[in-house]
Amino acid sequence: MVKREDRSSRGTGTTVPEVFAADQEIGRDLAAVDWAATPLGPPEDWPQSLRTAVSILLSSRFSMWLAWGPELTFLCNAAYRRDTLGRKYPWALGRPVREVWPEIWEDVRPRIESVLAGSATWDEALLLFVQRSGFPEESYHTFSYSPLRDDDGRVVGVLCVVSEETDRVIAERRMSTLRDLGSDSRALQTERELVVFAGRQMERNAEDLPFTLTYLFQEDGSARLAATTGIAAGHPAAPEVLAADDTSAPWPARASGRQETALVPLDGPEHEGLPGGAWPEPPTHALVVPLLDRGAAPYGFLVAALNRYRPLDEDYRGFVELVAGHLAAGISRARSYRAQQRRAEELAELDRAKTAFFSNISHEFRTPLTLITGPVEELRTRLADAGPAVRDELDVIRRNGLRMGRLVNDLLDFSQIEAGRLAGRYEPVDLATATADLAGVFRSAIDRAGLALVVDCRPLEAPVYVDRGMWEKVVLNLLSNALKFTFEGTIGVSVRSERTDAVVTVTDTGTGVPAHEVPRLFERFHRVENARARSGEGSGIGLALVRELVGLHGGTITAESVVGEGTRFTIRLPFGTAHLPADAVVPAAPPGEGGGAAEPYLQEALRWLPGGGTVPGPADAPDGSGAAVAPSGAGAGTRAGAGTASEPGGGPVAAAAAKVLVADDNADMREYLTRLLSGAGYEVRGVPDGQAALAAVRAQVPDLVVSDVMMPRLDGLALVTALRADPRTATVPVLLLSARAGQEASVEGLRAGSDDYLVKPFAAVELLARVRATVELARLRNHQARWRTALVDSLQEGFFVCDETGAVVEVNAAFTDILGHGPEGLPYAPVPPWWPDPELDPEARRQVEESFDRLDRTTKGSFTVPLTHRDGRRVWVSAALARVQDPDTGRRVVVGTFRDVTAEHQAVRRDGALAAFGSRLSESGSAAEALADALDELRSLWRARRVTAAVFTDGDRPELTVAGAPVTWDGLPAEERLLLTGLRGRPALTPVADGSGAAVRLEHPDGPLVLRIDLGHRRPFTEEDGLLLSLLAGRLAQALTRARQIDRDRETALALQRAVLGPSRLPEGFAVRYEPAVRPLEVGGDWYDAVPLPDGRIGIVVGDCVGRGLEAAAVMGQLRSACRALLLRNPDPAGVLMALDHFAVDVPGALCTTVFCGVLDDRTGNLTYSSAGHPPGVLAHPDGTTILLEDGRSVPLAVAPGRDRPTGTCTVPARATLLLYTDGLVERRRVPLVHGIAEAARGLRDGRDTNLDVLAGDLLARLAPAGGYDDDVALLLHRLPAPLDVAFSAESGQLATVRRALRSWLGRCDLPPRTVQNVLVAAGEACANAIEHGHRNSPGGAVRLRAEALGSELRLSVEDTGRWKRPDPGSRPHRGRGVTLMRALMHEVTLTPGPAGTTVDMRTRIAP
Amino acid sequence: MTTTPLTLTPGRRTDGTPVLKVVGEIDMSNADALAASLDALAGRLVVDLTEVEYLDSAALSVLFAHSHRVELVARPLLTPVLTISGLAELTTVHETDA
Repeated sequence: MVKREDRSSRGTGTTVPEVFAADQEIGRDLAAVDWAATPLGPPEDWPQSLRTAVSILLSSRFSMWLAWGPELTFLCNAAYRRDTLGRKYPWALGRPVREVWPEIWEDVRPRIESVLAGSATWDEALLLFVQRSGFPEESYHTFSYSPLRDDDGRVVGVLCVVSEETDRVIAERRMSTLRDLGSDSRALQTERELVVFAGRQMERNAEDLPFTLTYLFQEDGSARLAATTGIAAGHPAAPEVLAADDTSAPWPARASGRQETALVPLDGPEHEGLPGGAWPEPPTHALVVPLLDRGAAPYGFLVAALNRYRPLDEDYRGFVELVAGHLAAGISRARSYRAQQRRAEELAELDRAKTAFFSNISHEFRTPLTLITGPVEELRTRLADAGPAVRDELDVIRRNGLRMGRLVNDLLDFSQIEAGRLAGRYEPVDLATATADLAGVFRSAIDRAGLALVVDCRPLEAPVYVDRGMWEKVVLNLLSNALKFTFEGTIGVSVRSERTDAVVTVTDTGTGVPAHEVPRLFERFHRVENARARSGEGSGIGLALVRELVGLHGGTITAESVVGEGTRFTIRLPFGTAHLPADAVVPAAPPGEGGGAAEPYLQEALRWLPGGGTVPGPADAPDGSGAAVAPSGAGAGTRAGAGTASEPGGGPVAAAAAKVLVADDNADMREYLTRLLSGAGYEVRGVPDGQAALAAVRAQVPDLVVSDVMMPRLDGLALVTALRADPRTATVPVLLLSARAGQEASVEGLRAGSDDYLVKPFAAVELLARVRATVELARLRNHQARWRTALVDSLQEGFFVCDETGAVVEVNAAFTDILGHGPEGLPYAPVPPWWPDPELDPEARRQVEESFDRLDRTTKGSFTVPLTHRDGRRVWVSAALARVQDPDTGRRVVVGTFRDVTAEHQAVRRDGALAAFGSRLSESGSAAEALADALDELRSLWRARRVTAAVFTDGDRPELTVAGAPVTWDGLPAEERLLLTGLRGRPALTPVADGSGAAVRLEHPDGPLVLRIDLGHRRPFTEEDGLLLSLLAGRLAQALTRARQIDRDRETALALQRAVLGPSRLPEGFAVRYEPAVRPLEVGGDWYDAVPLPDGRIGIVVGDCVGRGLEAAAVMGQLRSACRALLLRNPDPAGVLMALDHFAVDVPGALCTTVFCGVLDDRTGNLTYSSAGHPPGVLAHPDGTTILLEDGRSVPLAVAPGRDRPTGTCTVPARATLLLYTDGLVERRRVPLVHGIAEAARGLRDGRDTNLDVLAGDLLARLAPAGGYDDDVALLLHRLPAPLDVAFSAESGQLATVRRALRSWLGRCDLPPRTVQNVLVAAGEACANAIEHGHRNSPGGAVRLRAEALGSELRLSVEDTGRWKRPDPGSRPHRGRGVTLMRALMHEVTLTPGPAGTTVDMRTRIAP
Repeated sequence: MTTTPLTLTPGRRTDGTPVLKVVGEIDMSNADALAASLDALAGRLVVDLTEVEYLDSAALSVLFAHSHRVELVARPLLTPVLTISGLAELTTVHETDA
C-alpha cells in the first residue's frame, strides 16, 4: 500500500468528497488518504454499499471502525479516534487492519474471519493491551463484529462497534476486593486472624495488588512483617523486621510513621526478581500506605505493588488507601475487642471481690451511713430556708442514705440468717392490729398511685408470737412488692385465723407472674423478667428474705399468681410458742417502735409514683419518726416526670454540643447523670424508661444514648435491640449502665449491640471518659458511613438495597443516573416506578416479574431486564442481586448492583435486526415487495403503530407504502404529510426523531424515499434507535437497488418465458403449473406443451433440461420448439423422440434432458407415448384405481442417438385424470423416487373429484417439501371432457339448443342413459326458470350453464340475472313442479339468490 | 327464435281409440302447442309419447290438465319424470320397450 507522504496537504484546502461529508473533521483526514493506492480505489468509484457504510460510520457517535475489501482497509470515526486509536490517528486511515493493530491482531483475526464467513461475533469485556498512552495499557473493550456486504450481497468487510469498558471492569474488580475485605471481618477476633483474612482477600486481586506486605509497628519503633500476599517468604524485599531508622531498608518505614503515603520505584537491588501477580512482568512501583485509624499513630503500613499496566490515577491510589483503611480499621477493632475482653474479665474479678467484701463487712456500712443520714437530717432542719436547690440535693442524699441503709440491712440479715446468727425476739403480738398499722403506712402511697387499699384484719382470738422488726419487714416487703407491680385496682391485706394458724394474705390486682415463675419467686436474686413494673429497681432479695423470716417464725409463705389478674401471698403462722426456741420467747413489749423500719420502704415506693418527689408530710407517717422529712420543692420532681425531657442542667451549651439521651428509671440517677453530662458540655435529655427512650430517639436522633439496663416497660438490652432493628437508629451508639457486674453481663450487653458497658458504681470521671470516647467513635463511624456512602455513590454501577418488604430503601448516584430516580423518592415501595408499564409494554413487564420471581427462590441471581427511565425511555440493565443479612440490623435484605447494558443490548438487537432484515429482504422478489417486507420488519422491530414509506417520484404526491393500519396519502394528517414532504431534501440515512416517532430519508430507485416509524404512544426514539434505523435504512436502500435489478432481470425472463413457452392458451381439458426453483426468476429448464395436431389428436409433452435458471431455459426453449415442430410433422411419440435425440446432440446443455411425449385421441381416449428417461405419468380412473404409464421407456435425450425408442399405449377413459410432471415434483433427498410418485398417485386419486385447476394447486401444495421446492417443477393435468360452459339469452327458444349442447357433452362423459336424462331434465328446468325470471326482469338477459364432469360426480350450475319467486303452485303450478323435479332428479340442489341474479348449483353422483 | 321441434299427429288406434302421437321434445317453448292439440281432441284419449325424448314440467302441466281423460304411452326414459311429478298416479302410463 502506498501512502501519500506529505500529510501537510490535508487541511482546509482539501474538498471533502460527499461520501465523507458526515463528519467534516474526520472526513478531511479520510479525504487526504491516497485511496487510489489502496484496494478500495478512489472514493468516487466506491460501490453504494461502501458509501452507505462509511456514511453510517461517520455520522454515528458510537465508537466504530470498518474494514473493507481484500486487505480489510481501515476507516474509523471520531469516537473511535478519541476512545481507542489515540496516537495512531490519522496514520491508521486507509491502512490494512493488521497493520493498524499488530499488537492485537492475533486476537482480532479469528473474529474477523468468522464475520467474513457470514456470522456476526460478539465479545464482551475483552482484555486487550493497547499502546495508546505510551505504555502497554490494560484495557477492556466490548466488540461486536458484523459483516458488511457489497451491492451483490457478498460479505466484503467488517463493521466493528466498540464500547470501551476498562473503567467499569476495573472498578468492579476493585469494588469486589473492598467488598470482600469488609465482608466477614466483624466476626474476626484476633489481630492475627484479621491480617490473614485480609491477605486472602487481597491475594484474590492479583491484578491491582500484584503483591503486598503488611508491616506492624512494634513498641521499639521497628516494624514486623505481619502478612504477605503474592510474594514468597524470605524475598529480599520482604525482611521480617525493619529497624526504626534503617535507611537502607527496602521500604521507608519512617514515612509511614509520618502518616504519609509514599510512591516507591522498584529499582533497587533488593527489588530484583519481584513477582508480577497476575501480570507477566514485575511491577515497577509500589505504594507504601500507613495503617491509620481514628487519627491515632499508625499501626504499621501496607506495601502494595502496583499494576504496571494501569496508570496510578486517583482511583487507583484511592483504592489502595481504602484497602489500607480496611486493614487499619480491622486491626483497631481487634485490639479494642481484646481490650474489651480484658476489661470484662477484670470487672468480673472485681465483682467477685465486691461480693466478698459486702458480705464480709457490710455491717461496716452502718457506721458511715449513720454518719451520713444523721447529719443530713440535721442539715435539712438547719437549712430549711436555704432555697430549693440545696434542699433538693439534701433530699437526694437522705433518700439514698435510707435506701442504702435498707439494702445493707437486708444483706446483713441474710448473712446472719446464713450464719445462723439471726436470733429473733418473739413476743405475743395482736397480729391483726400490727398488720393493719403497717398497711396504713402504705395507704397514702397506694392512694397516690390511684389504687384502693382494702384492709380486713379481724381481731384474732389469741396473740401470735412474732419478732416485730422481722414482721414489719415481711409485711412492708409484700406491700412494696404489690404497689410496684399494680397499676390499677386493689391491694388487699387480711388477717384471719384458721384452726391452729393465723393466716395473713397480701393480694394485688397487678401484672402477676407466669405460672412457671411462681415457684422461683422466693429464690434469692431471682427476678421475673419482662414484668411490667413501676420500677426496674430491686435487689432480688426482698421475697427471699420474707421467706427466710417467715421460716424463722415456724411459718410458711406461698404465692399464687395469674398473669394480668394479680398475685396473692399467703402466710401461715402457728399460734402458741411450741415451734419457737424457748429462749427466744419474750414477754410483750410496749408498742410504738415499729414505724422506723417503714420509712425507707415508703420513701422508695413514693419515688416510683408520678410526682414522686413529693414525700408525704409527717402527718402521713404512722408515727412521728418520719418527721424529719420535709416537703420538698416541686422542681426536681416534675423535671423527672415520666417522658418529659429535662433541660440541660443550667449553663450555656455550645451549639455543636453532642446530644446525649439519658434513660434511667431511677429519678435520682437520671438527674445525677443529666447534671454530670450537662456540666461536661453535652446537651442532655432524660427519660424514665426504654420505651420513652425509643420514642425520644426516633423523634430526634442523639449522638449517644446512656441507658440503665434494668428499667420498667423496656429494659436497656431490649432498647438496644429495638434501636438496632430500625435502620434510622441502627447506628446510634449506646452506653449501658448496670448494677449487674460480671463478664456474662458485659458480654450480653455488647452482644445486644451496645457500644460500651459501665458497671455501677462508677466514677464520674470514668463515665465522662467513656461517653467522650463513644461519641467520638460514633462520629468516626458516621464518618465511615459517609465514606461508605461516598464509595457507593462513586460506583459506576447502580446500587440499591431492598428491605424485607421489597421496598427500595437505598440507592446510589449511578442508580439515579441510569434510571432517573433519586434518593429523594426513598423508600420506593413495590412496584417501583421503573418497572415497565404493564399497559404500554406487557412483554417487558413480564420479563421483569419473572426475573424477580426467580430470585425469590434463590439467594443470588443475575439477569438482564428492561426497565423504564424516569423520562420514559427504555433502559436495559444487567443486574446482580443477592439476599444478605444486614450486619447492623440482622434483617434480611436484598442488595443489588446493576449496570446499564442498553448499548450492548441494542448492539445485539441491532445485529439480530440487521440479520433478520437482510434475510427477509433477500427473499423479496421485487422492489415493491422488498419495501413492503422492510416496512413489516421495521414495524415489528419497533412494535410501531404504523410504518409509512413515501416515494417521491415527481411532484408532491408520493407513492405510499404502509405497514399497519392502511392509509392513503390524503388520509394522513396534514402535519405528517408536511413532515414527510419536508424530509425529502434531508441528508440520506440521518434519522430525525419527532414527537411520536422518527423518519429517515433514503434513496429509492424511483426517487427520494422518506420512511417514517410511528411509535404511536409516548415511547421515546433513542439515539440507539436512530443508529439502528440508519443502518437498516442503508440496507433497505441497497436492497431496493438490488431488487430493482431483479425486477429488470425478471422482466427479461418473463419475456423469454413467454417467448419459449408460447401462447398460454391450451387445448381444453388441461391444467398446468410451472414452478421454477430460482425465484424470483420465473424461468427454468422444465417445460410442458400441449399441441393440437392436424388429425384432431393432441400432442402432450413434458420435459426437463439439466440445470436451472436462464441457461437451462435457453436449452429448454430450443428443445420445446423442436419437439413441437417434430410432432406436427409426424405425430408418433417414439419417432419424435428419436429425431429429438439427433437434434439435442448439437445443442450444448441438452444432453440428458428427459422428455415424456404422448399423442392422445380424446374421442377414443387412446394414448400412445414414449418416455426418454422421464418419470412415469399417472392415470387415475373415475373409480379411484391408478396406473403408472411405465411402458415405452428409454434413455434420456442424446445419450444414444440412433437407437430405436419404444412406444407405450393406454386408454384414458372419460372423467379419468392424467398427470404428467417433472421430477422436481416427486424427488426428495434421501427418499426413493417411487415414494414421491406413489404420493403423487395418491394425491391424484384423492383429487379425482376436484376441479382440475384446483387439483393442480393442491398437488403442488401436497407434495411440496418443508422448505419449498428446490428444483424446477412442471406439472400437467388432463381430464376429459373439459367443463361445459354455455351462455345464452333468456328466451325459451334457446332451450333446445342448450339441451343439445348439454346432451352432446353428457355423451362424452360416459354416463348411464338414465343419468343423462335426469341431468337433462334438471338442467332444463333450471334453465326454464332462469329464462322465465330473466325474461321478466331484463328481457334477453344472459343465462349461463356450466357443467363439469369429475371422477364420480357431475356438477352443474345455472346463473341468471333475475330474482326467483318462492314456488307458488297457485299461479304457475308447473314452475313449482320444476323445482320439485330438480330436487328429485339430482342428489343436491342449492338455490342461491343474489343481488344480480340467482344461481342454481346441482350435483349428482355417477354410479360406476 | 327457434322453437323446439315437435310434431303432434292425431289418429286412432286399431281399436278405434283416439290417439295423439307426439314426436320430439316438449318444453316451455312449445307446451302451448301440445295444449292446443289436446283441447282440440275431445273425449278419452291416448297420448303416445314413445317418440318423445324430452319432456319438462311445462309439458307435465299440460298433461295434468287432461289427466282425467288421457292415457299415456311412454318409453322407460320418461318414467322417472312421470312418476316423480305424480302424473303416473292420476293416469295410466303404458311403458314401451324401446
